[in-house]
Amino acid sequence: MDYTQLNPAQRQEMLNTIGIDHVDELFSAIPESIMCKEGLDLMPALSELELQRTLADMASHNHGAHDMTCFMGCGAYDHFYPVLIDQLINRGEFLTSYTPYQAEASQGSLQAFFEFQTQIARIAGLDIANASLYDGATAVAEAALLAMNTTRRHEVLVASTLHPEYVAVLRTVLSDLAVTITILEATDGKIAPSTVEAACSDQTAAVIVQSPNIWGQIEDWEGCFEQAHLTPKVVAIAVFNPIASGLLKTPGECGADIAVGEGQPLGNALNLGGPYLGLLAAKESYARKMPGRLVGMTRDEDGRRAFCLTLQTREQHIRGARATSNVCTNQGLMAMRATMFMTTLGTVGLKEMATQCWHKAHYLAREITALDGWELAYTGEFFNEFTVNCPLDVTTVVNQGKARGFLPGVAAAGRRMQGLSDGDELIIAVTEKRTKHEMDAFVAFCKEVTA
Amino acid sequence: MEITQQASRGDRPTEPLIFEKHVDQTNGVDFPPLDVPETEIPQNQRGDGIDLPSFGQHDVMAHYTHLSDRNFSVDGNIYPLGSCTMKHNPRINEWAAALPGFSCLHPLQDEDTIQGALRLLYETRTMLEEIAGLYEVSLQPAAGAHGEFTALKVIRAYFNDHGQPQRTVVLVADTAHGTNPASCTMCGASVQTVRTENGQTDLKHLKEVITTVGAENIAAFMITNPSTAGMFDVNIKEIADLIHEAGAMLYLDGANMNAMVGRIRPGDFGADAMHYNTHKTFSTPHGGGGPGSGPIAVTKELAPYLPVPQVMMADDGSFYLDRDREKTIGKVRSFIGQFGVLVRCWAYISACGPDGLKNVAETAVLNANYLAARLSDIYAMPYCDPANGKFCAHEFVTVPKALLEQGVTLIDIAKRMIDYGVHPPTMHWPVHDCLMVEPTETESKAALDQFVDVMRQIAQEISTDIKKVQEAPSESDISRADEVGAARKPVLVYVNDSTV
Repeated sequence: MDYTQLNPAQRQEMLNTIGIDHVDELFSAIPESIMCKEGLDLMPALSELELQRTLADMASHNHGAHDMTCFMGCGAYDHFYPVLIDQLINRGEFLTSYTPYQAEASQGSLQAFFEFQTQIARIAGLDIANASLYDGATAVAEAALLAMNTTRRHEVLVASTLHPEYVAVLRTVLSDLAVTITILEATDGKIAPSTVEAACSDQTAAVIVQSPNIWGQIEDWEGCFEQAHLTPKVVAIAVFNPIASGLLKTPGECGADIAVGEGQPLGNALNLGGPYLGLLAAKESYARKMPGRLVGMTRDEDGRRAFCLTLQTREQHIRGARATSNVCTNQGLMAMRATMFMTTLGTVGLKEMATQCWHKAHYLAREITALDGWELAYTGEFFNEFTVNCPLDVTTVVNQGKARGFLPGVAAAGRRMQGLSDGDELIIAVTEKRTKHEMDAFVAFCKEVTA
Repeated sequence: MEITQQASRGDRPTEPLIFEKHVDQTNGVDFPPLDVPETEIPQNQRGDGIDLPSFGQHDVMAHYTHLSDRNFSVDGNIYPLGSCTMKHNPRINEWAAALPGFSCLHPLQDEDTIQGALRLLYETRTMLEEIAGLYEVSLQPAAGAHGEFTALKVIRAYFNDHGQPQRTVVLVADTAHGTNPASCTMCGASVQTVRTENGQTDLKHLKEVITTVGAENIAAFMITNPSTAGMFDVNIKEIADLIHEAGAMLYLDGANMNAMVGRIRPGDFGADAMHYNTHKTFSTPHGGGGPGSGPIAVTKELAPYLPVPQVMMADDGSFYLDRDREKTIGKVRSFIGQFGVLVRCWAYISACGPDGLKNVAETAVLNANYLAARLSDIYAMPYCDPANGKFCAHEFVTVPKALLEQGVTLIDIAKRMIDYGVHPPTMHWPVHDCLMVEPTETESKAALDQFVDVMRQIAQEISTDIKKVQEAPSESDISRADEVGAARKPVLVYVNDSTV
């Protein structure tokens, strides 16, 4: 079914109105030689019933957090979210509307995005936020471009503990722009503030530090950003996890100028990596150079409060080649989910979720490292994710874990993690969803696989 | 015929912001009691606490239901937004994407646990290759503009690899989407504008630009076909030949694929690279501004430079992700793209089949020409003239000069449409004072006729009751928003007692 709705009589009537006999005449200006005469070589159409069967069958050939016990993280987390989000998000008024350029016909989306911006600004501990970007990785790249545009400098200092996929995307985005990316090496899985101080110069546009970092370690943002700010104009960019803000210090509390991150943990499903949403919050001074859509509060002609897209002269559809970014479509529906999630949880719910993550992750870390040969790879504080050195080949742990119904974590070695390590580190994430029973069973498995 | 005004401002109070409703910390969620011993949280790690209001679940439902009442949508309104392809969003697609076997997959899982998902991606890839008539598709880009950026990186990488790093100029039509030049800038390329005439590339000017810039410096020509003026570029073959003679690549902005899908394949007219917008052509919902997905298709010559990972089928029929392409431009997005959007894309293409896709293009073009034919006597159309055999593609542009001369602005007309429950078309683009109307193939004849009635009635009101148009909208949730004031003194977040 192609979802068109004209019957043959209506088609004929419309052709008559236009004054032609056949629909082909509408394409008559196009040279015959480029027409696809044989038709496309695709599978014949499936009815909705067949679609349901085929899609359900394809879905059944996947295993994941729905039928296994998931300890995988590294930028995508198996968090709880209330069912009401799935119900509300399918309201056609949200699902099937366009970008709210026509304010008078879009107050619903606009107000929700304004609320989202406020929630994200608060979670980041900063003044303002935009209405979302594609994902965490591209948000980091956009933040780097923003820092370069505002400082007119061309070197970016990047913590080696930043998610390797984010580093990879940053490299691609900056590769044709005459920018130097300098990697800050870590000590015991963290960036020492003295490393930042030594690397900063009057060429430095930004310092990018993620916390909790790829190993799960909580970085010394305060120390790093304090050192960064000793060099005038350097922009401190924090890559943050919004759930952690429910318990730990926010980027703003630690002196960040810009905070970016992956918003998936806020009420979005794992979705095999997308659609997710990129978060970007900043100090107020960046408002006119920020990438992405911004919703502002205003009035209508009668003095009623109203919302509209604003500062559009930053954007590509007005400014073309001189725009602050080429971003057009963002992740509106994912931002809608995130704001619904935050409105349902609030301060108390988010703190409870973050606190349970903390206690559960620390419980599992204690239990696993009580086993012979299993030890923490790094000594610093962590939140909901930690790294262990496996006493055996990490691939064996992952493979045998799968057979027993576990997604044991993310192995740091291999191409999937962009060559982060060649050792046997396993990065284990524990959300509030994991139960003591599941964790004890996983520890028993780890013990067994070692023996 | 008298038309009933649909939207209603009424006496309904404005929905308060969540920050204003906030009276106590009623929680909309509960958690199971902690089932493990606590571990001390060091004081120096704890934050000062963030202030996020929350409500019981009923009030959460009420808040967002009230907000949804204040939105136009494809489901509820005629939504003829030019170049945006606001077609019906089938709900089977939403059902599919939400299946736990798709929605609960972690992006770093081993490939043997996600064979069904990889099959879906592989089939989407090959279907999009066939529809493009091009060699290889990458599903990585997150949206159309992101696809442009990715494809331009691929083209630049190709030239760098072939000893022609000086090819850094990209030609862009003066009617191009703003993303085209912005994407060039992000790739470190410079932009040269090519003029259009009557909605088509000005061949003479294109030749001049090639000479002025120097053929050897040109990386690509980015063309939108049908153009944003809603016209097929009848010289597309000649344009492709000119660009190829210059040693450059022809890039197709696929925003308007809905006019061609199943009937014309970009590869067949000489495109070397293109992007799709799945949220336009393939019915994935716009979601109030995303998520999109912008797969790109390229020729065999460009394929080695595509981003990683690429979904592949092994000899034994299993599927895997190739992360090791020697010449790849690298990664453009985290993980493996907008998977959930691509599930919907697969479902749509599979529902249509090859004949259905062809009918999509035909019906989209038929609907647009039907509207044009019924409105051109009042709404002047600078590019198309269906009565004289000059047909538009899937959309048309009108510059209603005669109406504007009676003392209304284009915005007045657009805002009056809101009173009649019709979402205004794209405005002031690609030329000043124009409306760009794209009805899409999924509107019924009754809806098309209703649109015609609304447009004719507004034209009549301009003669008989001009204030109604000048003061529109009078029936929407708000009267005109002060966008100038919003930009002058931006209020981007709520602070206690926010006033503007």
